[in-house]
Amino acid sequence: MDHFPTNWGRPRNDAYDAYGTYPIAVRPNNALKDAFSAGVQRTQAPIVTGTSVLALKYKDGIMMAADNLASYGSLARFKDVKRLQTVGEHTVIGAGGDMSDFQYIQTVLDELMIDEFAEQDGHTLGPAEIHEYLSQVMYARRSKLDPLWNALLVGGYKDGQRFLAFVDLLGTTYSASTLATGYGAHIAQPLLRTAVEGNEDVLTEDEALKIIEQCMRVLFYRDARSLDKYQVAKITAEGATISDTRRLDTTWSFAEGIRGYGAQTE
Amino acid sequence: MPNMISLAQPQQRQFNPYTENGGTILAIAGADFSVIAGDTRQSEGYSIQTRYAPKVFRLTDKAVLAVNGFAADGNMFVKKVRQRLEWYRHAHAKDMPLRAIARLIQTMLYARRFFPFYVYNILGGIEEDGTGAVYSFDPVGSYEREACRAAGAAQSLVQPFLDNQIYFKNQTPAPGTSHPVHLPLSTVLALVIDSFTSATERHIEVGDGLEMYVVLSKGSTAFQSLGAIHGIQELTATEDGERVFVIRRELKKD
Amino acid sequence: MTSIGTGYDLSASTYSPDGRIFQIEYANKAVENSGTAIGLRVKDGVVLAVEKLTHSKLLVPGVNRRIQTVDRHIGMATAGLLADGRTLSKRARDEAASYRDAYRQPPPLKAISDRLGLYVQMYTLYSSVRPFGISTILGAVDKDGPGLYVVEPSGVFFGYHGAAVGKGRQIAKTELEKLKLTELSTREAVIEAARIIYLVHEDTKEKDFELEMTWIGEETNNIHLPVPKDLLVEAETKAKASLEATFD
Repeated sequence: MDHFPTNWGRPRNDAYDAYGTYPIAVRPNNALKDAFSAGVQRTQAPIVTGTSVLALKYKDGIMMAADNLASYGSLARFKDVKRLQTVGEHTVIGAGGDMSDFQYIQTVLDELMIDEFAEQDGHTLGPAEIHEYLSQVMYARRSKLDPLWNALLVGGYKDGQRFLAFVDLLGTTYSASTLATGYGAHIAQPLLRTAVEGNEDVLTEDEALKIIEQCMRVLFYRDARSLDKYQVAKITAEGATISDTRRLDTTWSFAEGIRGYGAQTE
Repeated sequence: MPNMISLAQPQQRQFNPYTENGGTILAIAGADFSVIAGDTRQSEGYSIQTRYAPKVFRLTDKAVLAVNGFAADGNMFVKKVRQRLEWYRHAHAKDMPLRAIARLIQTMLYARRFFPFYVYNILGGIEEDGTGAVYSFDPVGSYEREACRAAGAAQSLVQPFLDNQIYFKNQTPAPGTSHPVHLPLSTVLALVIDSFTSATERHIEVGDGLEMYVVLSKGSTAFQSLGAIHGIQELTATEDGERVFVIRRELKKD
Repeated sequence: MTSIGTGYDLSASTYSPDGRIFQIEYANKAVENSGTAIGLRVKDGVVLAVEKLTHSKLLVPGVNRRIQTVDRHIGMATAGLLADGRTLSKRARDEAASYRDAYRQPPPLKAISDRLGLYVQMYTLYSSVRPFGISTILGAVDKDGPGLYVVEPSGVFFGYHGAAVGKGRQIAKTELEKLKLTELSTREAVIEAARIIYLVHEDTKEKDFELEMTWIGEETNNIHLPVPKDLLVEAETKAKASLEATFD
């Protein structure tokens, strides 16, 4: 159906094109330009989205966190979504952006890990290999103009080495001792850097957890697409574990004292 | 009659496969050496993504490539150039000469003329005749050999400085002297450091760290006049040929 | 009836007048020449064991594996042509991946055995191909618990509590029948499997061999893994000891 009245032909609608002067050249052409391109639907925009993922290096390994919300625009659509996932023994990935694309990535990685497992050659993929693989997949998809609309963190610990790196829908990669995606890159990253930079080798697990928790709280206060339910992943020499869902304790009593907007009786 | 003045045009939001990751690179050729440098900050918009993401890469003992622009394209491009150089080594049992690498890079860039690698390349190293050389490229492969070149976010700040200090533009020679002349390595390194500290002051996308690669011609004595350079690291892989070094310095992180 | 000279044994696509396909029977001969492979389906898991005959002392230990992994929870052991075993295991992995792709869950062993049966049977239909020269023991712990199947060169497959294929299958089967398989733990089954392989080997008086053994059970988190070094050593020691006891 062509929804543009100017393309419907006579009778014209005098309300907006009284003299038929609306230039033909700028009338929307709704005809299919290319039957082939119409047959392919690429991801033009993310639909059901997750917000920030945070991660930091600490003494024993990597800690990562993400909340459990998947939003549909401004609607808090799914409130029990897992955005952290272990991949093999030594790695956790965390995803912001389109959740269906993330689920696709999970199945791709699962297949990869099974293929590698079936080799039974004594090798397992570590975080560095998984990050490199993901980077190549993400870059290849952006090069097809059919991106996987995600920002991903890859954290891990293998052979005595900590690993933490980022990759996004453009295939952009980088590594640092603290990383944050989405809103977290603006709000949490400065807090993380202040707390972590230079202390990577002394921060204990408890201290790391406190930092993560505080950042998640600030994000929940300031990011409208966030939730107070979240999970924390820990990757150390002992392997990768993802916590059960936790709840942030937050304070809203100050709202009582706010005057100036909303319904007030005095 | 409903108000139909608002003529909603169909909205086409197209995915943009590029971004700009800031930073600056530069290279200067000496008589028998070449210096290739870049800062290590990677950013997008106002966010610093990381303080350490190398933009300068040792390709062979006589060639170093600096890549600036869209980081994902840059990394992929370096990966592909390295693969081609490896194949060349397998086929010919030697490293590809610098001018051949330059032409290879032009071919590889132009192959993507209609979906370019969004990167500015500067290739530095030693030619087969032992002279220091710098080649600079645009994203689709136009290239030339030069004595110096700056590219990236702070190109407009650094290149005029280099024009003045390397090419002696707008300078009149002292009586009885002439220029341009090839500068000694110590002077070149000082210029590079000054370029980056200045660019760091005036450009928000430049800073954090500086990596300077020095390629010396076979038998070059350029280092002897320098004494010990703090923190210098040699990366040379083969004996009796050109030598490659890297010097790292901190830059302001604000 | 002998097949020699009748011409009915030249192609898998031709029956003999009394309704046999000789090429399939020859394929079974190829299996019979091979070192024994056994599978035990017990209370909480599955054990696969292979008597891998080593034709040369120059071979690196552990090479030319005859037990392969199909999926995290599925293993397969073959007796017969080694290369045919590799082809079939590749097909099995592809089938497992395709099942996961379609149904987003780990494939049940029955589904994989069924698909492999169909695949193997295809090679009994055409004159342009030869049937698989292997019998395959598939083992897994899936949503229905432990499972064990054997796919034969004809393409038929059956489920078993205990299975044996290859040269020493008769003795192995006799031994398996003596066991109370449904009451054994996987760990106990490992010991028994090693014993049976050693016993079978002793009887055939073949060259050197390597014992290759994998298990799937509670102790491995229902994942198909090689039997760990210490348990393997324990099982082999006990196997040797029981042999000595028999002959003393």
